Amino acid sequence: MAGWSTWSNGSSLDLNQVEIFDVCNGNDCRNVKDLADNADHDKVKTLFDKVFPVYLKENCSHAVVRPMPVLLGDGQAVDLYKLFSLVKEIGGYDFVSRNGLWGYVAKELGLNHQVLASMKLIFDKYLNDFEEWLGKTFKEKRFRNGNHGCDWGFKSLPLELEKELRSLLLNLKDNDDGLVNLESNAISEYIDLVNHKEDTNLLDTENQKINTYGDVQLSNVDDDEKTCKNVKDDSVTLSTLIAENGGGSRKRKREPLSGMLNWVRQVAKHPLAPLQQTLPKPSKWKEYKGNDFFIQLLRAREARLVKPGAQPNNETSSSQKAKMCPDMYKDHVAPHHHSAARLRCSERLPAPVKSRTCSCCNSCSPNGKKLTSSVNTKPKNCFPDKTTSISCSPNGKKLTSSVNTKAKNCSPDKTTAIVDASTARTMTEQSGEDFIEKHVSVGPLYQADVPEWTGEVCESDSKWLGTQVWTPKHDLDLPSEKDLVGRGRHGNCDCHFKGSVECVRFHIAESRMKLRRDLGSAFYLWGFNRMGEEISLQWTAEDEKRFKDLMSLSFPSQNKSFWSSKSRYFPDKTRRDMVSYYFNAYLIQLRSYQNRVTPNNVDSDEDEVEFGSFSEGFGMGALKIPGSNFLECSQNKQCTDLD
Amino acid sequence: MGIEEESGASLPGGQDGKKRRVTYFYEPSIGDYYYGQGHPMKPHRIRMAHNLIVHYSLHRRMEINRPFPAAPDDIRRFHSDDYVDFLASVSPDTLADPAFSRHLKRFNVGEDCPVFDGLFPFCQASAGGSIGAAVKLNRQDADIAVNWAGGLHHAKKSEASGFCYVNDIVLGILELLKYHRRVLYVDIDVHHGDGVEEAFYTTDRVMTVSFHKFGDFFPGTGHIKDVGVGSGKNYAINVPLNDGMDDDSFRALFRPIIQKVMEVYQPDAVVLQCGADSLSGDRLGCFNLSVKGHADCLRFLRSFNVPLMVLGGGGYTIRNVARCWCYETAVAVGVEPDNKLPYNEYYEYFGPDYTLHVDPSNMENLNTAKDMEKIRNTLLEQISRLPHAPSVPFQTTPSTIPVPEEAEEDMERRPKPRIWSGDDYDSDHDEDEKAIIKSSNLNDYMSRDVADDMEEEKPAVPPPSGCC
Repeated sequence: MAGWSTWSNGSSLDLNQVEIFDVCNGNDCRNVKDLADNADHDKVKTLFDKVFPVYLKENCSHAVVRPMPVLLGDGQAVDLYKLFSLVKEIGGYDFVSRNGLWGYVAKELGLNHQVLASMKLIFDKYLNDFEEWLGKTFKEKRFRNGNHGCDWGFKSLPLELEKELRSLLLNLKDNDDGLVNLESNAISEYIDLVNHKEDTNLLDTENQKINTYGDVQLSNVDDDEKTCKNVKDDSVTLSTLIAENGGGSRKRKREPLSGMLNWVRQVAKHPLAPLQQTLPKPSKWKEYKGNDFFIQLLRAREARLVKPGAQPNNETSSSQKAKMCPDMYKDHVAPHHHSAARLRCSERLPAPVKSRTCSCCNSCSPNGKKLTSSVNTKPKNCFPDKTTSISCSPNGKKLTSSVNTKAKNCSPDKTTAIVDASTARTMTEQSGEDFIEKHVSVGPLYQADVPEWTGEVCESDSKWLGTQVWTPKHDLDLPSEKDLVGRGRHGNCDCHFKGSVECVRFHIAESRMKLRRDLGSAFYLWGFNRMGEEISLQWTAEDEKRFKDLMSLSFPSQNKSFWSSKSRYFPDKTRRDMVSYYFNAYLIQLRSYQNRVTPNNVDSDEDEVEFGSFSEGFGMGALKIPGSNFLECSQNKQCTDLD
Repeated sequence: MGIEEESGASLPGGQDGKKRRVTYFYEPSIGDYYYGQGHPMKPHRIRMAHNLIVHYSLHRRMEINRPFPAAPDDIRRFHSDDYVDFLASVSPDTLADPAFSRHLKRFNVGEDCPVFDGLFPFCQASAGGSIGAAVKLNRQDADIAVNWAGGLHHAKKSEASGFCYVNDIVLGILELLKYHRRVLYVDIDVHHGDGVEEAFYTTDRVMTVSFHKFGDFFPGTGHIKDVGVGSGKNYAINVPLNDGMDDDSFRALFRPIIQKVMEVYQPDAVVLQCGADSLSGDRLGCFNLSVKGHADCLRFLRSFNVPLMVLGGGGYTIRNVARCWCYETAVAVGVEPDNKLPYNEYYEYFGPDYTLHVDPSNMENLNTAKDMEKIRNTLLEQISRLPHAPSVPFQTTPSTIPVPEEAEEDMERRPKPRIWSGDDYDSDHDEDEKAIIKSSNLNDYMSRDVADDMEEEKPAVPPPSGCC
């Protein structure tokens, strides 16, 4: 209780006004998932049956009524535990809904299909939030135990979970207000954590703690990408804590705000009915002081509706930039972006590969649930302070911009944003994702100076024409030349093994010779002498082997130091030489291999790809057809004279 | 291949549909710049494209120049002084120096936009090519000027972004504006052309049109409702699209919108950013365009016979980038190249088919006909609101005096959903119902906006075009 009282008494926050949103449920589902798999079902069921009523009592007592036992549409009772564990086992509510598996669930539970909808509804109303609550509680305790940041150890999870549940239950028995107790512990711990982070700017004694939440979150977001994974875990934990806290405040604060909502509802329903009070004109809203539903409404509105771009973009420019390809340095098992897998990814998930901010914010809303679905009944926003609110899109989309627009979401005045979760929901249900919109900055710092059109032209410097290397040969419009332009390769060749590496090399060499004749000096001016596999002729076999070995060594772990440290291995090669070798020889040989051995899986762009079974000469051995005369670049040697 | 019957649109002045004087800028060292291991941006792709172009003998129909590197002062015509100073002096070795490291975050240089060896010369070559292309068009030495090393559309005035450091496009357009009253910028990169849009957001001398994936995607800007401000209002057009965009859908949007823009705006020069990450199978993109579908944009713009600058941009599956830009070079010079690739140094990159064209994948097109229709109508309406559109009848609307406290207005605006932002992905029911609700909201929005716009635009009516 200590922590909580400190907070509520020690600060001058008007608790009537504070309503921190329930933030972002984490990846909780995973934790509970194994429950159904391994645990002793009976024991867990007993626990479940004990915990669940407590949960209901604690979380749904005020605004929401959840009768027990739970009856389906046709009047028969449903075993919540069975339903819960089965759905978890299959993959969660979302997964089941998406794949239309409710029928299967019903069948498994021995129910008929007519109650399918009500069963789904029950899961939605009773169990989704429970799952979230469970996960939060669980995680927060883990955090307290100092395991934060490491893998959650899924294997032993059911047992631990069981333990957690037991102790939780004990807690609850000892103290009716056990959950509050739990919260207070969390909060005090949390504040400890916060104090360790030194980000104390923008602190305002009035709402210090709340500010600090925001700062920590921000500093996490600002952290280097490399720590992103940790950041993610951090945010999960922090969010959970905030959420816990939010839940606490909500419990206390729901009533007045729901009163306001009812009032709004009444006004909306009966537009012509006389009001008890007269409402001021919109222009007077800002000055409006009062202590009624209307002021609450105004505050709620203000919190939700901050004019995009109303705030200077100071935050966006300095803190967090959207990333085009965030995972490229750190995630070498990133999903390939192609084909069906790629599509599925973007269809269902927040696609963390698209933006670094995603992976941070991802923790807030990883489930991709829809805003309007009642699955996710609370908008997951926090308004930590006046300049640094982070809004997480409740449905897990638009994450790229969500952090970038944080400055725009913040409350314009010092009042910490105050909205009842349900108020916010009614608003966001319509507003969709507008509040995370990213806008174009306007001002002399952003636009180019475009002079007025005067009609006068000023001469362009002819230096910009550059060096002319080639002029078109329109005058040589001979029929033969005409044919030449746009011509591809001939259909057939006389090579013994058509399409073999040797055959291709031969024809490339042929083509190069022709080109050199045709281009003259342009051949060199355009650097054709530095294109293609022949670059490797400047490398000794030994160097080539070392390069290849180093490449496979450095992927995927030490990739960053690869090129810089190369000089140690190749003292006589510049970085440019190595890049050139990489693209002109190494990759071509890799692709030769892929084209012939794994033609359905070719990729020139994933640097992580390693050679298959190549052992010598970059796979020439593997590709060599037994009995054929390996050309050993004899044709190519003619071209080496080019240099 | 009948370029002319393909083109479908002609404004007066189009002569021989096939013959255009094409100048192409190529910096031979471009392929050796390297962003770093694992970085998807590979300047090598420009070399591969050039290689293919030459092996197809397309160079015979072009003038090919090596660009003059843009000096820091030239780059300062758009970018801020300190940013340019930083770019010009930073190197991987000096990175740890506090003098530089404290700027990294400020200029967004680091992860996406790393400091690599030769960073500034790379920017100079890219910008020099685009400025050179503009000068070439200004001098009327060429009808089409190509710079595949350009098109780095994300770079901001004082900030690197999305693999782009120096916005060669803005520099090129600024050069074009010396001679041309109005410049149209068209962007078919899968990412929004935010840097260019922002740079010209408040002017009507440049109209920007960007077709891009929108919703949970870099850079996050490019909402259909972002139309420009001040005298630039309605001179920014954003076409937000969803995953799986295919040739037919793209064309069904691109052609009518561009047609209308060309009719109404009547630009004196056009800049086309041909980012190849909108191609099927791109490492970072999510569209499903074929090379031909992509090049159709160029083909269409070319048919208007307006001075045309063609730039590169994104593109992260490098074999397809080379294919695409080679084919587009062929379109520019009016040649239809064989599908079988000629033997070339990078032949193996194009296996196992070794063809110029690759089939798009069978990925699902998440752009519904309904959405497309909506987008098209919305944008055509926006374009027709441009003041010098002869076809738009003058509308009298009750004047609304802008009061500082437009509270009601905000209330109305805020809840408008984004119909194309992709939040329909995981809905398993009620889809139609929702769509209806959304469209009606959108209509509300649009119709009200018309009124606002008419009011605001009256003062800034540019005289009809064609008089320069």
